[in-house]
Amino acid sequence: MSGGYRQQPGGAGGETRKDGKRVAGKLRFKPPGAGGSRPVSTPRDLDGIPESVGGNEPQPAGHHVHDRLRTGTTVGRPTALVDANAKVTGQAWYGDDVRLPNEVIGRILRSPHHYARILSIDTSAAEAMPGVVAIATGEDAPKTFGVLPVTKDEHAMAVEKVRHVGDLVACVAAVDEATAMEALGAIVVEYEELEAEFDPRKGLEDVDEPIHWRGKYHVGRTNVQKRVHQAFGDRSNIENAAATSRRAWRFEGVHHGFTEPHAVVAHWDANGRLQLYTPQQVPHYTHRALATVLDVPMHQINVVRTFVGGGFGGKSDPFPHEMCAAILARKCGRPVRITFDREEVYWINRGRHPSYIEVKLDADEDGRVAGLDVDALIDGGAFASFGHVTSYYNGVLATAPYELGSFHYTGARVWTNKPASGAMRGHGAVNTRCAVEVGLDDIAEQLAVDPIDLRLANLLPPHSRTISGFRITSNGMREALRRVREESGWDEKFRNMPLGKGIGIGCGFFISGSGLPIHWDPNRFPHATVHIQVDMDGGVTVHTGAADIGQGSTTAVAQVVSEVLALPLDMIHVRSHESDTSPVDLGSYSSRVTFMNCNAAIRAAMEIRESLLNAAWDMLGYHPSTLVMVDRRIVYKHDPSIGVSYLQALHKAQEDKGALIARGAYRSPPMGGVHKGAAAGLAPAYSFSAYVAEVDVDVETGLVKCTRVWAAHDCGKALNPLAVEGQIIGSCHMGLGQVLSERMVYGRTGHLQNANLLQYQIPSVHEMPHVTPIIVESSDPEGPFGAKEAGEGPLLPILPAVCNAVYDAVGVRPSSLPLTPDVVWADIQKRMKAEGVEDPLDLEAPRLTHGPLQEKLASRGEEHHTRDRARQRTEDTSPYVNGVLFGFDPTRPIDEQLEGWAAIDDPDPESMAEMGYAGRAWLKQEQRHMGDDA
Amino acid sequence: MLTPPFVLHRPTSVEEACSIAADLASTDRPFDWVAGGTDLLPNYKWHINPKGDVISLAHVEGADALEANRVGCMARLHDVAVSDVVHPLLAAAAAKVASSLIRRSATVGGNLCLDTRCFWYNQSEDWRRSIEWCHKADCGTGADCRVIPNQNTLCVATYQGDMAAAFMALGAEVELVGPEGERRMPLEDFFELDGMKKNVLKPGEFLLCVHLPDDAGTRVGAYHKLRVRETWDFPEAGVAASWIPGDASSLRVASTGLESIPGLHTDVVDAHEDWTETDGRKRLSKALQKAIKPVNNTALPPRYRRSMVSVLASRALRAITQED
Repeated sequence: MSGGYRQQPGGAGGETRKDGKRVAGKLRFKPPGAGGSRPVSTPRDLDGIPESVGGNEPQPAGHHVHDRLRTGTTVGRPTALVDANAKVTGQAWYGDDVRLPNEVIGRILRSPHHYARILSIDTSAAEAMPGVVAIATGEDAPKTFGVLPVTKDEHAMAVEKVRHVGDLVACVAAVDEATAMEALGAIVVEYEELEAEFDPRKGLEDVDEPIHWRGKYHVGRTNVQKRVHQAFGDRSNIENAAATSRRAWRFEGVHHGFTEPHAVVAHWDANGRLQLYTPQQVPHYTHRALATVLDVPMHQINVVRTFVGGGFGGKSDPFPHEMCAAILARKCGRPVRITFDREEVYWINRGRHPSYIEVKLDADEDGRVAGLDVDALIDGGAFASFGHVTSYYNGVLATAPYELGSFHYTGARVWTNKPASGAMRGHGAVNTRCAVEVGLDDIAEQLAVDPIDLRLANLLPPHSRTISGFRITSNGMREALRRVREESGWDEKFRNMPLGKGIGIGCGFFISGSGLPIHWDPNRFPHATVHIQVDMDGGVTVHTGAADIGQGSTTAVAQVVSEVLALPLDMIHVRSHESDTSPVDLGSYSSRVTFMNCNAAIRAAMEIRESLLNAAWDMLGYHPSTLVMVDRRIVYKHDPSIGVSYLQALHKAQEDKGALIARGAYRSPPMGGVHKGAAAGLAPAYSFSAYVAEVDVDVETGLVKCTRVWAAHDCGKALNPLAVEGQIIGSCHMGLGQVLSERMVYGRTGHLQNANLLQYQIPSVHEMPHVTPIIVESSDPEGPFGAKEAGEGPLLPILPAVCNAVYDAVGVRPSSLPLTPDVVWADIQKRMKAEGVEDPLDLEAPRLTHGPLQEKLASRGEEHHTRDRARQRTEDTSPYVNGVLFGFDPTRPIDEQLEGWAAIDDPDPESMAEMGYAGRAWLKQEQRHMGDDA
Repeated sequence: MLTPPFVLHRPTSVEEACSIAADLASTDRPFDWVAGGTDLLPNYKWHINPKGDVISLAHVEGADALEANRVGCMARLHDVAVSDVVHPLLAAAAAKVASSLIRRSATVGGNLCLDTRCFWYNQSEDWRRSIEWCHKADCGTGADCRVIPNQNTLCVATYQGDMAAAFMALGAEVELVGPEGERRMPLEDFFELDGMKKNVLKPGEFLLCVHLPDDAGTRVGAYHKLRVRETWDFPEAGVAASWIPGDASSLRVASTGLESIPGLHTDVVDAHEDWTETDGRKRLSKALQKAIKPVNNTALPPRYRRSMVSVLASRALRAITQED
């Protein structure tokens, strides 16, 4: 033992008993050199250390592989976001806050036509105007880009055709905004108008001039961009259905409604490198697109992500205005700043797809979900954006949390002459989920059972496989349902409240990170990489490319590093803004950041930890396996008075090599089936949620007010419960917008009628119910400290919960969103007519008398509860696949056991067309199958 | 989004305001009056009929009067909402206008002179260019009305001020002043059935204050407003009613947010003297509904808004009869 620092027994700061002996683990260490803003090292807090490694933190879901890294420092504690000070004091720099010397202002000329061919653009008059420094048109950037490599269909500015009102035609840089606006007015564009289409249903028909042309893969001459078909399971299960619910839904498009409008600053620096400042969720894809469009190598571009004033998926595409700024800046040699008006934000859109979704659910006499058929026709607007993926998500994300007897999905995405739809919080899953959950309520009504019991008796257990082959690991669905039932007082309220008051349930299921990266080639890159650097001052600099869009990813990364190294949060500095210094991270989408980035950060921190422990080994003579990290100290496990300070160990570790540098990376494990589209919806983990909502419905006016929400979300492990609760409450607000009032209104002429925040009605504080967030922790075996996503999944259940509550209140089941008062009122009028009631106040609220199935379902739910608990704690590790509930043996491939149970690869166009609008997309052939005369 | 530049005039007296207006008129410089600016300035930002000169009434002495029988044009809606001097019906209606933030600036005069609204009209310049303008802001093109095509004599934009209905129900009169002197008229005569003209104000004339009759204090009133959100939204329909308790014939019912002007429904009310009984109330409410014809230019569909007239009226009538 040499060089060690032994605390004198009973020495200063230590806690002692009355008899003079020290209290183990309660030592208060003085420096030297502990670092941090608090001079004294605090003792280990056993409440923050899991049971499995000797602490007091309960682990109902069992131990976790990261348990031994827990130091009780920050994980699991409500933690203010590390960038909160910058934001609340106004020091955070958002896109439009970037001011570079000598900047000029860029403005964009937009199409006044829905669909037109550009015959000519004359910019000469504008160029001659004093104060105008550069003008660019589509000719300046002929290369296409798009967020998905398979569907690159966007240009910086329109080439040949404009595809929606607001499409970019040209851009101008001038000394000030007024001059730029004036110059836009001086640009003369000649158009030849083409026949525009706004109704996605008509997008299935052949037209003269499809909005895009996909060559031999084009479906007929239609506007179908993507069509999808998946079928699994045994169709014979639905032949003797005891209850069937079939509903055709219409969902209006909604927008993210983030606070900060898009803004960008582009500057080519003295060395000819592009510096691009932009509030982006996925700076890396912007980086790639810029390189393509500008024709410069990626290493000559530095993408600087500013603070992001809300994204929600709406800032996750590479955007044409980013290209415009770079092109203008290159032309004029000065920094160019472009900031959008709110209206322009709506014109670039990327909000949730307006959709026609038909869902058919069949339940057999045992109350099992024998069949789920989904047909989703989604309106993509003028460009592909994320649509390829959305087409799949609309179906495949409905395959859990319930065990299904069969699953059929037909999906189609069509182009229309409207601003492009894209990814929005709960990407692709939200609308179908709403339809499915409302359908389940309908089934429960028909079977005369409680809808929560129906759900509890049909859940997939933890560590199982869905019908389409998704690997479910941790699963807190059952606990979430049980908790909202209990806390909301469901059993007393459901079908028991007076007319106009209702309560409803909804569940959710969402991916926690997409299993495969968007860029497949080269797909050997990890999904996330984190670098950590620790120099002699003891501060830890973490480099990550993860984009904090307000969700708190920077804080989460800082937290996990702080937890592993037992350092206070103020010693961790996260650098994540610049692509020059950040390792590649694929960005903030698919709820992947906490899961993937924190896993990478933990790996990097483990490397640093190892160096420090080895140094302490050198100094103390105790093997690292017997050393523990406490607040800024490394001590001997069995006698905490023996130890070294963090700085001593760090300096020792640096002796020969200088600053400690480590890196960690994350790749998701190989998963999934081999059928077409098997990759869509794959995730290393899935989140689950269950909400109960209470509403007041004014039966005379149809106004719906949501008054209470109990929101349980399984996030695996709440690294930061404060942030998780914030996400749950925020999700409720956003989801309520879609269910109650928000919609993008396209009028008679196809124009977006409400491109402003007055008429695009986001719920105000008055519409916000009291939300009780309930965090369920199922400890995911692969998540960082057990964590899964909490950013998107919590949005899903609020929609069906409100819809089902409306039914409980007034007995009308919605089939379109949003539930603006006129819609609900019309439904109530319909019910009055059907029942011959004159005054809506004379209607009767729905009531429930349990049928014979109720008891059976309740007892099956209890059995499954026992089953799930054993599986969750890995006491039962037997395989489980979707289908066991229907009598299959999970140890043998399921398609061997029954001929009908298989994935159907060859769609039969005739039968698919019966399913719904999207099915009809299969009536057309692709060009390559149409012969020469096509 | 840039507000077009304008010259702001800040008179401190009614006379000065009138003389500035006369000066501008004599040199053919079009101008607008501005009070709180919460209606005018957003429209300017959207380049909806901006003018080169704007005369502010903010500093005109006495214009912010807030008395039981006299409310000045510059009285702020927030002050009206929290005032214990004005009639409770006015306070209640003011509290329902827009949001708390906007009510701090918005005024009674501005609300009464609110520009009519239409989703073909309250849009940015680029947007309106893409529909080739509309009748109300045709930019010299003589464009047709987009709500009801093939008629371009009348603009059908909807008047969506809340205060007008409440004032009318109380029998208010407005005092207008201008270079040609002052005049007074019942509020219902102030509005003129055309979404473009809106009211009887002559060039250079402005609304100085609103007078309430002496018996207004004895009236009991209620205002019911239909909107999707409980804040910020303009009324999709609004019905105000008041009466002197016990005197069924004293009932006054006014509606707003439904047509190009707010309406006082004297004829319909007079035909239903039995309105204090349940059936009579229902009949009156239905009759009011029939008397109103909204068009499709606000957030909610016209058929629904029209149906809501009877619900709102019925509720307002019930409220005022239960209070005594």
